[in-house]
Amino acid sequence: MDFILLVFSSFSLLLDPVILTYVILGFVIGTIFAAIPGLTATLAMALLLPLTYTLNVETALMACASIYMAGMCGGSITATTINIPGAPSSMMTALDGYPLQQQGKGALALGHAALGSMFGGALGAILLIALAPFVAELSLLVKTTGKFSLLAFAIIVVVIAQRGKVAQAGLAACIGLMLATVGLDAMEPITRFTYGNSNLTAGIDLMPVIIGTFAIAEVLMQASSSRDISAAAAAAEKVKIRRRDFLPPLSDIRRIGVGCYIKSSLIGYFVGTLPGAGGSMGSFLAYTEAMRTSREPETFGKGNPQGIAASESANNAVCGGAMVPMLTFGIPGDPITAIMLGVLVINGIQPGPQLMSDQAGLIAPMLAALLFSAVVLIPLTLYLIGPYFIKIVSIRKDVLYGVICLLAVVGSYVATYSTFQMFMALGMGILAFYLRRNGLPVITMLLGYILGPNLEEFLRRSLALSNGNPMTFLTSPDSLFFVLLTMVFIYFLVIRKPSKSPVLAQGK
Amino acid sequence: MLMNRQLLFLYVILAVSVGYLISAMSLGAPTDEGRLTPSFFPILVGAAAIVFCGVLITQTFRAAPAPKRSAEPPRYTHLWIVVAIFFYILAFKTVGYFTSSGLFVFALIVLFSSFEKLIQKALISVAVVLAGYVMFQYLFGVRLPTLWG
Repeated sequence: MDFILLVFSSFSLLLDPVILTYVILGFVIGTIFAAIPGLTATLAMALLLPLTYTLNVETALMACASIYMAGMCGGSITATTINIPGAPSSMMTALDGYPLQQQGKGALALGHAALGSMFGGALGAILLIALAPFVAELSLLVKTTGKFSLLAFAIIVVVIAQRGKVAQAGLAACIGLMLATVGLDAMEPITRFTYGNSNLTAGIDLMPVIIGTFAIAEVLMQASSSRDISAAAAAAEKVKIRRRDFLPPLSDIRRIGVGCYIKSSLIGYFVGTLPGAGGSMGSFLAYTEAMRTSREPETFGKGNPQGIAASESANNAVCGGAMVPMLTFGIPGDPITAIMLGVLVINGIQPGPQLMSDQAGLIAPMLAALLFSAVVLIPLTLYLIGPYFIKIVSIRKDVLYGVICLLAVVGSYVATYSTFQMFMALGMGILAFYLRRNGLPVITMLLGYILGPNLEEFLRRSLALSNGNPMTFLTSPDSLFFVLLTMVFIYFLVIRKPSKSPVLAQGK
Repeated sequence: MLMNRQLLFLYVILAVSVGYLISAMSLGAPTDEGRLTPSFFPILVGAAAIVFCGVLITQTFRAAPAPKRSAEPPRYTHLWIVVAIFFYILAFKTVGYFTSSGLFVFALIVLFSSFEKLIQKALISVAVVLAGYVMFQYLFGVRLPTLWG
């Protein structure tokens, strides 16, 4: 209860014009990056990561929270108006949003998307605020062996969640784990894989990994891609959106049903708590569920607002869910929470069970900003600048990528004022680029890199405590719980596969 | 077909994984009196990477032959960008932020567009570099290398 009160008292921080500016700026930047096809809010956050060195932690985390929320809803703008999802999480929104646009109801579709985002984002944030302290208390029950099993569970789930690409994901995770082993050993004074380079003694820094993986690799992907969005830009020029059409009529909301919003948000929230699942899976599952339970499933994919509501409620609720494992166990749910984890680590804060009790004052403002973004900034941004957002697609790409590259490379210099980190960022960018080009998911690499040190340490500590007996992972109740949970996920994700629907296949 | 772009990538990763495993093994025995040593985990990871590489190489061999490439010429812009970033980093501290960044942003804008309207692009580059300087130096208090110290 104390934590909930702390979160609500943190709203007063938003009265500070500087903090409010950063939160609003974060939201606008997140929306712009999410709306432009090919760019993501993850990229925006990666570029802004170096700047968090100079901000205080609360402000940096609040800005991150607003970028995250904006990133989930911003993609719906181009998904609806020109059928190109700005972000992967808005893929399902395009299925019903674009047909509505073709019927001349594009603004209404955006209104439904914003309402769904607002509802899902708010419910996800409220659940996070209400449940995170309890999860943190429960996480105190997890001891060393349980922690190893939990981290192994996270990596295994993120690998097997990559349907049809399990070997690729496994290899990517191994590459991440390899990167994590570079530098001084955690338990003995031995350096590993540094090959005499003193810059590597402390290990590979998080900053160049994030900037390389998400910013430099993205620019290289765009440069190697022959995708031309000039047609989309031309289409965007023709789209006319009027503010008065944004507001969804009450009859539409009744038709969708409050139950659909709640159910989709809950699906999104719980999907968010799973490592590596992310907004795309949340909106996919919520859309499937909405279609399955609908009285008129044949209208899905033809402009049914319920599809938009389900998809957007779910992907914004993911924001709240994904922060639960990040804050309580230090396990990021998706790339954006991985970067937020980076912000915490850069500022010397170690996520984990103690975080909610020892440094609740730093976390509470971030959750307040998340809720504020969902309830206030989503509708306000849509209303004030919604009619112009579609023009974002027309931004000159050459200048945009020039700016991104400059920010990325100079940003990697900021941490240590060393060109070594800049070269590391370039190296990581090249690695991530080739991984992506060959179908290896970079999120599993990133998760392997982030979780690797703890995974190794807890494995060694667990076996040291049990005199080298590996059965300790099955005899310890907390560990056994995660071992069984891993098996349940393997059963549902690998052995038993869900059936496909024609509309969803079209979405893919 | 023993060599295509994807296989080449997998061979490189396989070679790195084998090198990693050998380096890990050179750290010493994986266990010592029942305790795990610093080499245990890297050996495990290196071996797993080799297994995954093996699986993927086998899968690629077994897969149906790739469809014929489109008539579109291959794009190498990404390689030029890597070269540009490399030289930018080399020049960053010695030449200073302004000159190196100006040339870098200009090169990128040209790489992402064409060799037309160069004066306009040069002016945009100058504006971007100045905006970057103001943002880093004054807004965020980052000391950027300049020729005047």
